[in-house]
Amino acid sequence: MKSSNLCVMICWSCLLPFTGCDDELKDPVIPNEEELITTLTYRLIPTEGGETVVLTYKDLDGDGPGEAIVSVQTLSALTSYNGVLDLLNESQSPSSSITEEIEEEAIDHQFFFENTFDDWQIQYADTDFNGQPIGLSTLLTTGVNGTGSLTITLRHEPDKNGTGVGSGDMTLAGGETDIAVTFLISVQ
Amino acid sequence: MPVGLLAQTCEVKVGGRIQDGSSSEPIAYANVFFKEALQGAVSDEEGFFELPLLCRGTYHVVVSHIGCQTKEFYLSVYQDTVMVFELDHNSQLLDELAISSTLISETTTQELVTMDAHAISQNTDKNIANMLDNLAGVSTLKNGNNIAKPIVNGLYGNRLILLNNGVAQSGQQWGADHSPEIDPLAADKITVIKGVGALEYQGSNLGSVILVTPHKIDNEPHLHGKARYFFESNGLGNGLNIRLQQHLEKLAWSVVGTAKKKGDSRASDYYLTNTGSSEGDLALQLEYAHNPLWKSEVYISSFNARLGVLRGAHIGNLTDLEEALTREKPFYTQDQFSYQITSPSQNVNHHLLKLHTKFVPHEDHQFDLTYATQWDIRKEFDVRRGGRSDIAALDLNQMTQFVEGKYKRYFSNDWELASGMQFNRIDNVNSTSTGILPLIPDYISFETGIFVLASKKTDQMTFELGGRYDYLDQRVAAISISLPREILRYYNHFNNLSAASGFSYSFSKFLNASYNLGLVSRNPAINELYSNGLHQGVSGIEEGDPNLKREQSLKNTFSLGGSLNQKILFELLYYDQRIENYIFLNPQDELRATIRGSFPVFKYTQATARIFGFDVTSTFLISDQLNMVLRSSFLKGTDIQNERPLIYMPSNNLFSTVNYQMPQVGNWEQVEFQISSKYVFEQKNILPSQDFTRPPEGYHLVGLKISGERQLKNNRLNIFLRIDNLLNVAYRDYLNRQRYFADDLGINFVTGVNLNF
Repeated sequence: MKSSNLCVMICWSCLLPFTGCDDELKDPVIPNEEELITTLTYRLIPTEGGETVVLTYKDLDGDGPGEAIVSVQTLSALTSYNGVLDLLNESQSPSSSITEEIEEEAIDHQFFFENTFDDWQIQYADTDFNGQPIGLSTLLTTGVNGTGSLTITLRHEPDKNGTGVGSGDMTLAGGETDIAVTFLISVQ
Repeated sequence: MPVGLLAQTCEVKVGGRIQDGSSSEPIAYANVFFKEALQGAVSDEEGFFELPLLCRGTYHVVVSHIGCQTKEFYLSVYQDTVMVFELDHNSQLLDELAISSTLISETTTQELVTMDAHAISQNTDKNIANMLDNLAGVSTLKNGNNIAKPIVNGLYGNRLILLNNGVAQSGQQWGADHSPEIDPLAADKITVIKGVGALEYQGSNLGSVILVTPHKIDNEPHLHGKARYFFESNGLGNGLNIRLQQHLEKLAWSVVGTAKKKGDSRASDYYLTNTGSSEGDLALQLEYAHNPLWKSEVYISSFNARLGVLRGAHIGNLTDLEEALTREKPFYTQDQFSYQITSPSQNVNHHLLKLHTKFVPHEDHQFDLTYATQWDIRKEFDVRRGGRSDIAALDLNQMTQFVEGKYKRYFSNDWELASGMQFNRIDNVNSTSTGILPLIPDYISFETGIFVLASKKTDQMTFELGGRYDYLDQRVAAISISLPREILRYYNHFNNLSAASGFSYSFSKFLNASYNLGLVSRNPAINELYSNGLHQGVSGIEEGDPNLKREQSLKNTFSLGGSLNQKILFELLYYDQRIENYIFLNPQDELRATIRGSFPVFKYTQATARIFGFDVTSTFLISDQLNMVLRSSFLKGTDIQNERPLIYMPSNNLFSTVNYQMPQVGNWEQVEFQISSKYVFEQKNILPSQDFTRPPEGYHLVGLKISGERQLKNNRLNIFLRIDNLLNVAYRDYLNRQRYFADDLGINFVTGVNLNF
């Protein structure tokens, strides 16, 4: 009985060194979120001269709760524009261009332009390695006066051979959405 | 053993009796085979057998009987000998043969179900959760077939402890898409305790425990082993598992290795692209007897898996999900089978080292000292832009150190006292190379606990009572989701008291009842407190709440087991659990607009919950050869505070098997045919606002199995052919997250060979 009591004592005292808790937790390194897209600009340059219109969507905190800043713009009626898309990561400084990544992986990306105007025409003005559209460059022609919206979607790894996908119909494109932003627009 | 010695040395008469290990009832028509002599006998109706002309020497003796685990004994024969061999019935029947707790050597009044070595060897193709899936009251939460975690009576993940050889598994168990990092083929048996509180073990649990127990090293001086191979048609999977063991005078060792590889699984109508997996595991066990009173053990295990996730389940925003829900087959489905695994996928490594020493200075006193360290590395890969798919999107490294001292004391008046103290330190670090904000923060947690358990066991009744105290100190360093990014530090302290008690009583040999009551608590898990961000695959933003309080559970279980005329065996478990501050992901009314489109927001919220249900198992012994087993589980989980159902609760189900057994067919023994039927009801206990889509309809699966054993010269061969989803039904299961995208598995032919040598 005595020897067993001694054993209990020894066992417990063996464990004592483990009871301390002086560990200091190091500061985690804040990751460099280089893949993040914070900003989309769609520059619309009138083909026959005039003022360039810039549509901008900016959300610096990514998936965080911060509100995005979305520009509301006016386009001229019955006008053709050369559209140029630019994607940026402005969460870090200096900001970096995501557009280049899209260009490099053009066959895996396609932009889609959906709008609520019945009389607009939006055509792709660029092609990837396989001769299929990307959408970084477009030709947009407005119709008569009115208000509505334009939604720009970027799909990663879509099925570019799907019916209608080549002409900008997203229905059978599949893939996953990397960007989906909507601009309110009035045409005057 | 040289044969053909002097004639008279080969006239030894060996006889004996074969009986049931627990009831000592005789086992008739069992096979006894002396390997070296190539002689065998069959027991008579009283269990007796006789071999009149055996040579002197040492023999490996194989004893087998239908419905029992085949056993091998090693013994010496020098003169006429009478011996008793004991066999144990397979647990699948044993569960129903019930009077359950008295069959278990450990004192417990809590309900348990077991997957034994025989059952494991008939399911070698499955991972640990899928293996347990057909046990009463156990379901699985899945993300495709590769990634599955067990649910016991409605609780899973951080509410359940998994013990691998006595050490609480410490990995990343917080996510619904994290399966336990354990190789079930290294286990001799897996026991699920459907209890009210496992006070002996540290770590979070609200009642139930899964024990994974490795093989005991048999007392055999020769090198022996077991080789198991399987092939499955669905996914063209192959697996090999080899175990070697030897028991020398003081040192005993065993090694178990497993290698598995499979390609794309197939639903009934299409391939599930990128659902392949590969796995390589190793476990080493060493036992050393310093002297008859003092033994030490070393256990090392390593689990390494690469798991593919359905390519079509990787989506962007809510619109993508809504589109996926309407799709007949998932996007990216290939027409061809492939072994290739690309993103999305997971690489999981888990290593365990356990040192254990046991000192028994006197038969009434036992001391145990254990040290264990675990290293868990989890990398999850997403489909990413700019060649980043090869960089893990989630990359976690976790080190756990555990020290435990236990003391057990047996008193002469049937009382037993166990007490112990445990220390556990977890250090969890995110790798910085992901380029993505981590989903859970870095943290160090330190937990200290003590417990005392007392039990009294007599022939008729068992009583147990226990208490436990835990102190948790947690340091957290998170990165803010708002801009500018900054480090947020949190310090948490929790003090928890738990208590549990149980009573079981045998009214007769044919009726046994037990009641358990437990009050236990669980601290909020790290993801519940601090996760903040997008959860890929479900297209939802999950927000933790740093102010969550601990969950407190009060659970009652009542079980009744017995038999009628020894023809109908039954076992019933009723449980009712009330959980204060139950933590769940609550869908918010808000949709968050981001540049990637809109996402639903889920917030970890607390409410009072009640989970109750019952598991019933009954067995009908129609004849010696024919029996039928019926099993049913019913469960209802409710948020009683807001009067809403709880999400991700198992659907009600009915499972039945019809078994026909033949002791001998030609050279084959223990030939068994089994037809199984599983019906899973639609989960109706859910509101439309709680999910993206309504739960899938109920489904019915039919299975078939044929198995048999035979003695090859010195080796015992067991083979099986199993067909799962025989009718190739297209179905989706509520608890499988892949259901948003694709059907579940189609027909699968599995064939396996198990060889004991």
